[in-house]
Amino acid sequence: MLTLGNVILYASLAISVAAIAGLLLKDLKNNNILNRLVTPAIIAVAGLLTFAYLLLTYYFVTGDFTYEYVWQYSSRDLPLIYKLSGTWAGQPGTYLLWVWVIFLSAAWLAQTTKHATPLARRTQIITLAIGAYFIVLTLIQTPFQSIYELAEVPLGFVPPDGSGLNALLINFWMIVHPPLMFIGYATMTIPFAAAIVYLLTKEDGWEELGRQWARFTWLILGMGIAVGGVWAYVVLGWGGFWAWDPVETASFIPWLTLTGFMHAAALHRKNKTTFSVAAPILAAVTFILIIYAAIVVRSGLFNSVHAFGDTSTGTLLIDLILITGAVSLILGMKRYLEEPEKIEEDPGFWSKTNIFYITLLLFAILAFISFWGITYPVFIQLTQGIKVNVASDTKNFFNVWSYPFTILLLLALGFCLNYKESKKEAQKKTLFIVAGLSIISMFLRTDTFYVLDHSSPFWTNEPPIYKMIGSISVISIFPSMIYATAAILQYCSGYLKLSNMRVKIKGIGIAIIHIAVIFTLIGAIISSNFTYTNERINMPLEAKGILLNVGDGYGIKVVDFSTRSLTEETYPGTAIADVLADPSSVEGKTVTISGKITNTNPIEGHGTLVELTDKSGSMWVVFQSENITLPENLGLTVTGSILSGFDNPVLSPIEVDEFDTSGKYQLQSVQLEVYQNDRKIGSGAAEYLQGKGGSGTFPMIDPSLTLLGGDVYVIFQGISGGTLPLTLKIVPAVNFAWIGIILFAVGIIMVMAVKSKPKGRY
Amino acid sequence: MKTKKLMSILVLILIISIAYETYNISLSQFKLSDTNSSYLGGLTWSRSLDASLEKARQENKPVAVYFWAIWCQYCAKFQSDTLGNPQVKEILEKDYVLVAMDLDIDRDAARKYGVSYPPYVLFLDGNDKVLERVPGAVDANYFLPVVTRVRDQVRSK
Repeated sequence: MLTLGNVILYASLAISVAAIAGLLLKDLKNNNILNRLVTPAIIAVAGLLTFAYLLLTYYFVTGDFTYEYVWQYSSRDLPLIYKLSGTWAGQPGTYLLWVWVIFLSAAWLAQTTKHATPLARRTQIITLAIGAYFIVLTLIQTPFQSIYELAEVPLGFVPPDGSGLNALLINFWMIVHPPLMFIGYATMTIPFAAAIVYLLTKEDGWEELGRQWARFTWLILGMGIAVGGVWAYVVLGWGGFWAWDPVETASFIPWLTLTGFMHAAALHRKNKTTFSVAAPILAAVTFILIIYAAIVVRSGLFNSVHAFGDTSTGTLLIDLILITGAVSLILGMKRYLEEPEKIEEDPGFWSKTNIFYITLLLFAILAFISFWGITYPVFIQLTQGIKVNVASDTKNFFNVWSYPFTILLLLALGFCLNYKESKKEAQKKTLFIVAGLSIISMFLRTDTFYVLDHSSPFWTNEPPIYKMIGSISVISIFPSMIYATAAILQYCSGYLKLSNMRVKIKGIGIAIIHIAVIFTLIGAIISSNFTYTNERINMPLEAKGILLNVGDGYGIKVVDFSTRSLTEETYPGTAIADVLADPSSVEGKTVTISGKITNTNPIEGHGTLVELTDKSGSMWVVFQSENITLPENLGLTVTGSILSGFDNPVLSPIEVDEFDTSGKYQLQSVQLEVYQNDRKIGSGAAEYLQGKGGSGTFPMIDPSLTLLGGDVYVIFQGISGGTLPLTLKIVPAVNFAWIGIILFAVGIIMVMAVKSKPKGRY
Repeated sequence: MKTKKLMSILVLILIISIAYETYNISLSQFKLSDTNSSYLGGLTWSRSLDASLEKARQENKPVAVYFWAIWCQYCAKFQSDTLGNPQVKEILEKDYVLVAMDLDIDRDAARKYGVSYPPYVLFLDGNDKVLERVPGAVDANYFLPVVTRVRDQVRSK
């Protein structure tokens, strides 16, 4: 069935193909027939897709459940904000968001460049081609699918309510996380397209064209990942912000290669021959890994807590990876072989480009480790039908392999940032000393401060090589960290002295980004190594108001416990008060009412009277059978006719159904106070939400106000058998990570705020 | 140029060896399940519910059905702490027919028994009657009495 939304998508596809044709004619034949129309056409598509997204939003807000997507991801009782965020809760909606943002950026490209240069034109062609491909994907898995296309739905049937949103998605962070991720995915299209054009035709200016887009992608994607981390911390009860879940890892990989690209681009823009293959290849790889991340999120193949699986467009995404991968590889190889041998003297190993190249390689290695760790178990599963784990404990794999390269990266940071050819020898000496200290400190022995937790039950099962790296003392991170910090401060102070505002702001921005790395690393390392955990504390409900000792000097007091419905209780059918007020209005017709059973009364020889109560009133329903047992408080929806001849109206049922009185989203909330040595250290509510698709935990987090202090963190797993199962954690130094994330954003925004230098400067 | 080429080749060799090494480690040490069996918590579990029920009838043993998922962090803990507990392990190994159901694959079984999240252990008799349900990552102190009781209950029949 052709719905309005799909018509818009088809129109967008047709117009964008026409725009591509126009640009190709101009580019290949210098034919201007369609060229004048290209920019308006692209803007029209952007407008159409904007309309399509607003249309989808409208369907969600008004609850048009004749659309399968709306029916699947929304329901009447959801608060407005979750009706809005339902638009990106599933694959079809995220495709629409993705394609919409691609065309917004294409429109921006059209508007700013007017396709005046071959580079702009060709970049636009590739951008549009990718955009068109995504329109096709959106059409295949369209959010505008009518439910009447499903075989079992009779025409004209309108579902009374949607099936609701997954309980895990009902919180603030999940409103922000997906759009950030997908906007970040989409905005990488232009840097990728420009890089491909450059590989193809060696057009100058490609880096400049894609520069702000790459930075924007880096910011948005980074914030998306960070928000995912916050979500994991405040909702999932992981007790940390990073757990190497396949999906969060998958989104981290392109961010790493993009970071690599930005480092390559920084040198490439100063000298066109530097990283003339590495830079565009890193941009291309980033784009490919973004598609890969999209597959990981939705495929259901990857063993993740994110498995909101769906595969019908998976093959098309894999095709896209294969196509873009092959194109990038071939072009990259071609470009590499064409590269003229440099005649200039070989400066030896210690040169700025070589050291920078090591940095790029380190980013590539870190990206590979993450990529490999989530990929090969799936590969083994698909090829051999065997499920394997990457280590005894999944996160150990990533921590073990990433750790040594993180130290190297910090060393490279410290060395590269202030590298000067003239001071080379002195700088080398410092590097060697720090590297030596790093190696020595690896062997320091402490109680718990190792790459892998020796007290964990998983430790004994790890293979020798993991135990070897796992025995490295984490103290070894500090020499390189201090070295890097000193270098960043020196770099920053150099820029502070400058008078040119633009250069100054940019330099400080770059310094802030690098300081952010240090902050985030400290937060991650301290919090994951020094978190205190006490699991399975069972607080009896009777102990309300009493401070109970839970061990290790900690005490917990349950101040209050309550259960409520997150959304209002709804009773399908006519309100009972309306029926009672005017029984004649329904006489001779059938009427549907709902209510909870509040009374049952067997009448010998006649059946059983059951009293149903809703919010407005109560009413008796007569059942034919005498020996039925219906539990009190059970919700019933009854359709029937009113029997005449009674003082009060009595309903004779034709059809009876149970309904869930509790509402779709049931929230258990426990108010707690946490004490350490009889001193109150935290208080708040830990909550447990039950609803569609499982449950969500909302731990109590009483954040520490100092940098190193511990957040008081209590997870509540839902009441069972009169006791409240709790897990107490004291998580130190998380504030470092949050500050780091904010600094990342502040730094890159400062860099972006400085307009690119006027052309022709180099 | 030469230096960079050399470095690239070295890095390539490095990542290929990491890839090769980890791949083999996983296959030899961290196999979780293959076509017939699952290897969880140091125990070998059958993947066929029907065959296990048949076996349970013949041997007059109860069936322990463990619902797990590879992405489930609590399962890993449950396996190492609770199932890995020596006493629990001994009873399960000797007196039970063990079945593991992968929630990513055996969705029908999960639906049939109303299991909606891992970890979850169901105890059945040979006639597919549910004797006991243990939802969640309970500790060995809780789990041990349950496995003992269910075993004795089936034996006494």
